[in-house]
Amino acid sequence: MKFMEVVPPGTNIDFIGKWKICVVISSAIILISLVAALPQVRGVKLGLDFAGGVEMLVRFPAGLKADEGMIRAAVSSAGAKDPAVVRFSEGENQDFLVRFQSETTGEKGELVDAIRDALTQQIGPAEIQRVDFVGPRVGKELRRDGLLAVGVSCIFILIYIAFRFSTRFAPGAVIALFHDIVITAGVFVLLGREFDLTVLAALLAILGYSLNDTIIVYDRIRENMAVHTKHDLAALLNLSVNQTLSRTLLTSGATMLAVLALLFLGGEVIRPFAMAMVIGIFVGTYSSIYIAAPTLLVLEERFAKEKGKKTAAAPKSGAKGGPKAARA
Amino acid sequence: MSQSLRWRLGATGALVALMTYLTIANFVPAETRHNHWWLPNQGIRLGLDLQGGIHWVLGAKLDVAIEHELDHLRGHLADQLTEEKITPSHLAIDGQHIVLELATTQDADKARTLAEDTRVLRVSKAEGTKLELELTAQWMKDVREKGMAQVLEVLRRRIEDPIQGIQDSVVTRQGEDRILVQIPGGQMDRARAREMLRVTGFLEFKIVQDQAPTEDLLRAKYKDGLPEGTVIIFEREKQSNRIVGAFLVKKTADLTGDYLSDARVSTDRTNRWIVSFSFNSEGAKIFSELTEKNVNRPLAIVLDNQVYSAPNIKERIGGQGQIEGRFTSQQAADLAVVLRSGSLAIPVAIEEERTVGPELGADSIRSGLRASIVAVLAVVVFATIYYRLSGVYASVALGANLFLLLGIMSMAGATLTLPGIAGLVLTVGMAIDANVIIFERIREELRSGRTPRAAVATGFNKARWTILDANITTLISAVVLFQYGTGPIKGFAVTLCIGILTSVFAAIVITRLLYDIWPGDRRVAELSI
Repeated sequence: MKFMEVVPPGTNIDFIGKWKICVVISSAIILISLVAALPQVRGVKLGLDFAGGVEMLVRFPAGLKADEGMIRAAVSSAGAKDPAVVRFSEGENQDFLVRFQSETTGEKGELVDAIRDALTQQIGPAEIQRVDFVGPRVGKELRRDGLLAVGVSCIFILIYIAFRFSTRFAPGAVIALFHDIVITAGVFVLLGREFDLTVLAALLAILGYSLNDTIIVYDRIRENMAVHTKHDLAALLNLSVNQTLSRTLLTSGATMLAVLALLFLGGEVIRPFAMAMVIGIFVGTYSSIYIAAPTLLVLEERFAKEKGKKTAAAPKSGAKGGPKAARA
Repeated sequence: MSQSLRWRLGATGALVALMTYLTIANFVPAETRHNHWWLPNQGIRLGLDLQGGIHWVLGAKLDVAIEHELDHLRGHLADQLTEEKITPSHLAIDGQHIVLELATTQDADKARTLAEDTRVLRVSKAEGTKLELELTAQWMKDVREKGMAQVLEVLRRRIEDPIQGIQDSVVTRQGEDRILVQIPGGQMDRARAREMLRVTGFLEFKIVQDQAPTEDLLRAKYKDGLPEGTVIIFEREKQSNRIVGAFLVKKTADLTGDYLSDARVSTDRTNRWIVSFSFNSEGAKIFSELTEKNVNRPLAIVLDNQVYSAPNIKERIGGQGQIEGRFTSQQAADLAVVLRSGSLAIPVAIEEERTVGPELGADSIRSGLRASIVAVLAVVVFATIYYRLSGVYASVALGANLFLLLGIMSMAGATLTLPGIAGLVLTVGMAIDANVIIFERIREELRSGRTPRAAVATGFNKARWTILDANITTLISAVVLFQYGTGPIKGFAVTLCIGILTSVFAAIVITRLLYDIWPGDRRVAELSI
């Protein structure tokens, strides 16, 4: 029987042999992102949801002469402090994104209306298509809830891992999980992108999703351990990664296809979300091939050293080390 | 076809058909749906980020309610002390306290007893003849609670006023001191809605003691200062905010808007817009006494400390009156709503706003829809080329999955937001994901020499747990997000949660069913996979 295949059966790429290089690469990325996250270097850019303030999407008809400087001047004259203006999109209309810090949208006089009037007078017919305002109290709460959501989600997934994997596999799964989430967030920091609620949602989705491929690889390792008891561990890990390689690539590829459609066609508002998902899926796939399995090897070797030669390198089969069930 | 297969096919087919039927609601205008009994009634609601509209989270300044209550109690205490022939040297409100100073410790003890007799005040600090009083914890809570209920009631009446005709607006309480207000799709201009929150709507009727065109001219008549208990209030021109009249009136109102029973828009003889109001029976009695006593004197109609008009009382007036003020029809209508709703004694501040214009919402729907369609097509093309007939099965399962997802969301009246569309697209990817896991496993079984029939059976059995595993972790994240997320993000969590469930069902049940139909029990030489 002939199948269309991305990875022909019998492929044997030495993934495990390169674990040191991969650890260096991953550690370097994590380290660079952590340094970049320091406020003195680049800092973590918080979006409106977490930082608070006012953001407005201003729309002018196409063809009207309008630029960032003119808008900044008009918005300032209406009483907004230090506004940041970027051109958002151009097509049938010209859209600009105006953001400034403010603790209210105007208690007495309406700031939003004043800005619209100033823009219309100084530049041309302006429409306010969107107003987002997050007050200091709400911003603080959103920050708290966001961190809490990531924390709680991590705890539940860790509990799930504890139930699902033996003590032997759990540490590797946890390391792969944190690897994915930290690098995705890190790349976002490095790219100078903002964290807002949709990015947080993407990070949480990645938290759940990136474990998928790791689970597939680990299940296969468990299965192989039961069959080839005398195999050398590195070779066994390599075999398992190779056997599941096409599955790992195809599942990620399918989801990636959908997310790419979102990235390119979903519009500006959803782009940060799609961006985070693309990075997350990519990193998750990489980690389940290059990080998850080698982590097992390293942990296993350390474990073997500590226990002396009693247990030897051969994986023990049975309640703890053996497969809980034969799974795909 | 075996009995059990027939039964499974029937049940699954019926479920998918039912959900597809429920999905129809989203493609038929509401009016048509109501006119045809056989059409489903409820569709998926669009979030404000898609249909456009105003989303506000308001914070009620409940400290103001406490201050009002303290002020009321201060007055009560002052009366009681006077009755006891005690004159406090100091009696005032300082923040959340009443501060009281008396001549002797004996008086202080008396005052303390009086305060504690109210059962709602307690002494928070006592130093010799000085007393500091505060509300008891329970009463403080009651006052805040009552204040909150009142704010909610007034805002509801203003925003959900039937004459305004706003559809599907939401005014609900959120937490201790917050109110969520949602006004969908361009039904009310942002500036007008803002005015509804800003205006207190405190209507007072005061007999004018004296008047002049400007404040200076009025003050010039009282060289030794204004008479005890009076203030100057102004009438301003609507557009320019220029003062057109200054009035000397008593501080306390002769009659307030609390006694109104109704307020409506109408026009006067010269066709100008006015707001006419009527009093309830008690108000009518007070009003007719007041007007009877003050014939030929002007009566100021004061709203939020601003004089709207000050007509001369020509004769005793009964239960009705009117406010003139050079209104546009819109302004008059809004004022009528404000008067009907009663006054908003506790101010509210916008703490969060997410307002989207209908045009931008339509843009979002368009790009979201485009991304979804392309995502589905890409995934279907990939699956069909790579897995041939099995890929077609996966695509059929994907289609069923989408109808299940949309059907459940319609049935539940769930809200679809822009991040929700992203969740939908993610579901599309993850649904194929599950099929890939199954197909790859089946291929592997085939390679190891199993017959197609055995390979399918083993493949599904082994893949089932992996699929569940892989989806449970994502479900955990989605549920947590639902718990902590708000607004559009909650929409993402909802779509993702339902999507995960339906895609697992589609992969494990529907794809399997298709295999059981063809090849089923037949001895085929090859599987198209």
